[in-house]
Amino acid sequence: MKILISFLIAVTISFASDATIEVIKKVDSLPSLAVEDASVSFSNKFKMKFFRSLVADMNVISLFNVDRSHRTVDYDASEVVYENKDIDYVLRYKLRKDDSGALNIELKILNKNNIVFNKNYKVNNPKIYMFVSHTIAYDINKYMGEPSVEWMKRKVIFSRVVAPKKSELVIADYTLTYQHVVVKGGFNIFPKWANKAQDSFYYTSLDEKKPTLKYVNIRTAKSKVIKSSDGMMICSDVSDNGKKLLLTMAPKGQPDIYLYDVNTRKTKRLTKYGGIDVSGQFVGKEKIVFVSDRLGHPNIFSKEINSHGGVEQMVHYGKSNAACSAFGEYIVYKARESSNAFSRNTFNLHLISTETDFIRRLTAVGVNEFPRFSVDGDAIIFIKNYKAQSSIGIIRLNHNKNYLFPLKYGKVQSMDW
Amino acid sequence: MNSIVISSVVTALLVLSGCSDKEPVVEEKQEIAESTVERVAPVETETVPSDEASVMSEDRRYSSASSSMSSIEDGMETIYFDFDKFHIRADMQNRVTNDASIANGAASKYSLKLEGNCDEWGSDEYNFALGLRRSNTVKKSLLAEGVEANRITMVSYGESNPMCTLKTEDCWAKNRRVDFKLLP
Repeated sequence: MKILISFLIAVTISFASDATIEVIKKVDSLPSLAVEDASVSFSNKFKMKFFRSLVADMNVISLFNVDRSHRTVDYDASEVVYENKDIDYVLRYKLRKDDSGALNIELKILNKNNIVFNKNYKVNNPKIYMFVSHTIAYDINKYMGEPSVEWMKRKVIFSRVVAPKKSELVIADYTLTYQHVVVKGGFNIFPKWANKAQDSFYYTSLDEKKPTLKYVNIRTAKSKVIKSSDGMMICSDVSDNGKKLLLTMAPKGQPDIYLYDVNTRKTKRLTKYGGIDVSGQFVGKEKIVFVSDRLGHPNIFSKEINSHGGVEQMVHYGKSNAACSAFGEYIVYKARESSNAFSRNTFNLHLISTETDFIRRLTAVGVNEFPRFSVDGDAIIFIKNYKAQSSIGIIRLNHNKNYLFPLKYGKVQSMDW
Repeated sequence: MNSIVISSVVTALLVLSGCSDKEPVVEEKQEIAESTVERVAPVETETVPSDEASVMSEDRRYSSASSSMSSIEDGMETIYFDFDKFHIRADMQNRVTNDASIANGAASKYSLKLEGNCDEWGSDEYNFALGLRRSNTVKKSLLAEGVEANRITMVSYGESNPMCTLKTEDCWAKNRRVDFKLLP
């Protein structure tokens, strides 16, 4: 019996880091955290906006039981406010506007009235306070010794359909609190960041005679045409160094995946199947995964970039898997779970490991699509459409938590982060 | 003893297979806070970049439809498709023939743009490819009716160009279609 128990414990521990296994942390086992506001400038409305943003970010890092009470205090008070005396961690901050109008933030974390972390932040434009809040959350997560949540600081770019054949491209923070329309007017879809610095992006314009891929540098607001193709022209993925693109083009009405070299502007056709091959994604430098209907229904396959050899089926579950994203050994894919012409359909996201047989369903209701791993693999971002509401969702794999950030108007067509 | 062993194994399998009513064993990390002020590094200041992306307005819809061109275009009939299907339905065959005769007649000096559309199930590339497949089917039919290939371009709008936005089968059926546009 002891041997059996030891064996089960060993198996459990050995699978503990597998993201395909659900991890349910007991809420009451997390340390408590309260937030104290010691701001000396800005309106009450702005102060509350910042407070709410910070509390929301503290929740998303999933390390604390966060107290949502707004309490004010003097920044230099030696003790936490009375109501917080039994709280494990107290995050205290002071917002101050300087002569140039910039937002300055002093911040410290108290544990048993001792300062265990402190840092100052500054941003010239107070309107983008939410990025400071995300940066603070990133820093606190790092201080707590947890794996990076780099994705919190990154920008999301998405296309929002506002009317038939009319869309706008929007840059936002991951919570969609900050939104800035970068391309307005016309019918522009499938935006894709051009590099890790997120200072430029590609998108598909459908306003030209043929679908056209364009490139925009955000800093100079300059746009240039990259390439056109009859039928389809989509930038599905950008290599880590930004020098190679995976394009879906259909010059003869046949959608296939092409490799595009940014420097030489040459393309190389990677798939030649007579049906649909779309949505190429780089997996390392040598391989791609993509969606193909070569078995009669859409599914996820992989292929070596430089080989003339065959393709390998990556997902063996489901009969209609039409979108995917890969990170290391993990693949997240969208599966159609009903196929009915006469009622609403459900699409859910599933996570598999290519090294084990485990499969984990990540969503439960609605139309969930466009999954994208974060740069660090810690989270998955996706689009959820449910009951006429379009949202961007974040799944934190190792914390088993999903967060939804609804869009106020329009419908998210596609996005990248 | 055997039954205890079997039930233990079953329990373990349930835990490891992602069954919903489980309580998997998770190592809970004990947070031990550093508690001395002396250990805190000097306060550093991080400047969060505040460059707002420059607004770029772009509205260059490709269109130079004259009134005569648009009246010819109005005579071209939309081709509708069945759910998850790409072939031309029997009841749409006459429409294709009519469209081909306009393409070869009144519209013969213009190019044709075939716009494939899907119902609302999905905004990913695959759905766009399905819309394109419908355009391609119509293109092949037009070629068979004698329309020149170099006059035809195709595009797919996926689900982003609905004629109807109600949540009904009738409505979805109106969105599974190929429209014709004339280009100079």
